[in-house]
Amino acid sequence: MDLHRATVTANEQIMPETHVLDLASPGLAKAARPGQFVHIRCGPGWDPILRRPMSIFKIRPDGISVMVRAVGEGSTIIASSPLDSELDVLGPLGKPFTLDPSARRLAMIGGGYGVAPLVALAVEALGKGCEVVLMVGAATADYVFPADELPTDVEYAIATDDGTLGHKGFVTELLPRYLDWCDAVFACGPTPMLEAVARITRPARYGVAGAMRSEKPVQLSMEQHMGCAMGVCLGCVVMTRKGYQRVCRDGPVFPADTLVWEGSRA
Amino acid sequence: MHGLELPNPVLVASGTFGWGTEYQPLVDIQRLGAICSKGITVRPRDGNPTPRIAETPAGMLNAIGLQNVGLRAVVQEKAPIWARWHVPVIANISGESVAEYEQLAGTLDGVPGIAGLEVNISCPNVTDGGRLFADTPKSAATVTRACRAVSSLPLMVKLSPNVGNIVEIAQAVEEAGADCLSVANTLLGMVIDVKARKPYLANRTGGLSGPAVRPVIVRMVYQIASIVTIPVVGVGGVTCLEDALQYLLAGASAVQVGTANFVNPRTATEIIDGLEDYLTQQGIRDIAEIVGAARPPAARPAVSTTA
Repeated sequence: MDLHRATVTANEQIMPETHVLDLASPGLAKAARPGQFVHIRCGPGWDPILRRPMSIFKIRPDGISVMVRAVGEGSTIIASSPLDSELDVLGPLGKPFTLDPSARRLAMIGGGYGVAPLVALAVEALGKGCEVVLMVGAATADYVFPADELPTDVEYAIATDDGTLGHKGFVTELLPRYLDWCDAVFACGPTPMLEAVARITRPARYGVAGAMRSEKPVQLSMEQHMGCAMGVCLGCVVMTRKGYQRVCRDGPVFPADTLVWEGSRA
Repeated sequence: MHGLELPNPVLVASGTFGWGTEYQPLVDIQRLGAICSKGITVRPRDGNPTPRIAETPAGMLNAIGLQNVGLRAVVQEKAPIWARWHVPVIANISGESVAEYEQLAGTLDGVPGIAGLEVNISCPNVTDGGRLFADTPKSAATVTRACRAVSSLPLMVKLSPNVGNIVEIAQAVEEAGADCLSVANTLLGMVIDVKARKPYLANRTGGLSGPAVRPVIVRMVYQIASIVTIPVVGVGGVTCLEDALQYLLAGASAVQVGTANFVNPRTATEIIDGLEDYLTQQGIRDIAEIVGAARPPAARPAVSTTA
């Protein structure tokens, strides 16, 4: 982990308001792991003041790519970065996903923008000979992550809120189809979606309700408003069985069974 | 600071630099003037529910709620690390009662690795109906006196800007035995979530920090440094050499870098470099030559203190 001056070598809009930025930085490329993130400064000034956390979307030999959704002032500044401009990038940060060598069939669930770290994970898993199903959810077809950004070996399943593409409904409704098949589950997206993944997989993990017979690991990448991203400010905590833990340093990837969801701390 | 020789006048503020270890991979922490630790309470604290931080124009609000490992863990686990460092570590302490401040100050007295105390009197005083110790000259002086009585460490008292007359509080704290003042803590603020039609922070209110607060705190330093005889440390929105110079010229003997650490962890060391260059270029041999230089020579007692 270090501070990097990373040159923007490509900036492509892949969905409405969503850009993929290729950042040249051999240092980042060497250190980055799927599930980790970088913290990017929104220009040289102090307004907006805080950096923006971005999941690592692709890891290339000469740098990384990030997927930036321009939803606010800061992310719009970053998404608008011109070619050859330099970004002030802190990272890579946080704990990555863990790929257990014995897990051969992986189910991944991404909600909207949360697909980003799963793409990096899918690429690594395929390289190790794993089979990968990636389920993605979006509001409408326009916001569905484009399949041509994925390796062809990934089985791709889609859900949209309005039914304009794939299954009509929540992406988590696709998950039961793959529970018997998979060895491990990985998810990233909005907190309600992650809570649903934890809930759906919980009986399976405990061998209840006739789903899976053996315990299967479920890893969730959590989102939280972040200040420093270095474990200092304690702004980004989530409740776990060990008390509050920092998304930026103890996460963002947590085993599902360590998390305590709002209203269910007991 | 009385009784404590700092290598330079650029410190890092409590709550923005953790226990000092977190930024070690990025920052040459041994070059800092001092590290003010994360706030320490007698018992470990979980802190507040989330959301805990909100971004505002050129600033941020935080309502962390003093999440920390507690006094015993600091003495057993953190202080031994600090004892091996060259950089002085000033322990920031927060109590819910005068007795807790006494316990914190007394326990930390003489512990190797702790070079001084920063007494945070801006935390909720549950024994006094939710008011803050920093609210009145009397309560601020009571806490200061209690800490002074049980500790031989240099005592820096951190004032709250959320008072009507901060100069009055500063004077009371000086008379009660403080060696130094840090001016100031965060400004109480609120952000409303207009979609949800309710306060954004789970705690409803939070402390505003960052460049947005700098003019307010520079004014307070200017006022206080004109009145007290002990050193004042300016804290609020320091991001660069020029910001630090504003505080020094207003009368601060040193500054603390806070929120800027989150954005550029090397802010403090860059200011130290900049300050050395500045003093050389200006032909200034002792930094004391510029401390308070922005104040008119005869400006001493007559500063208005209306917030």
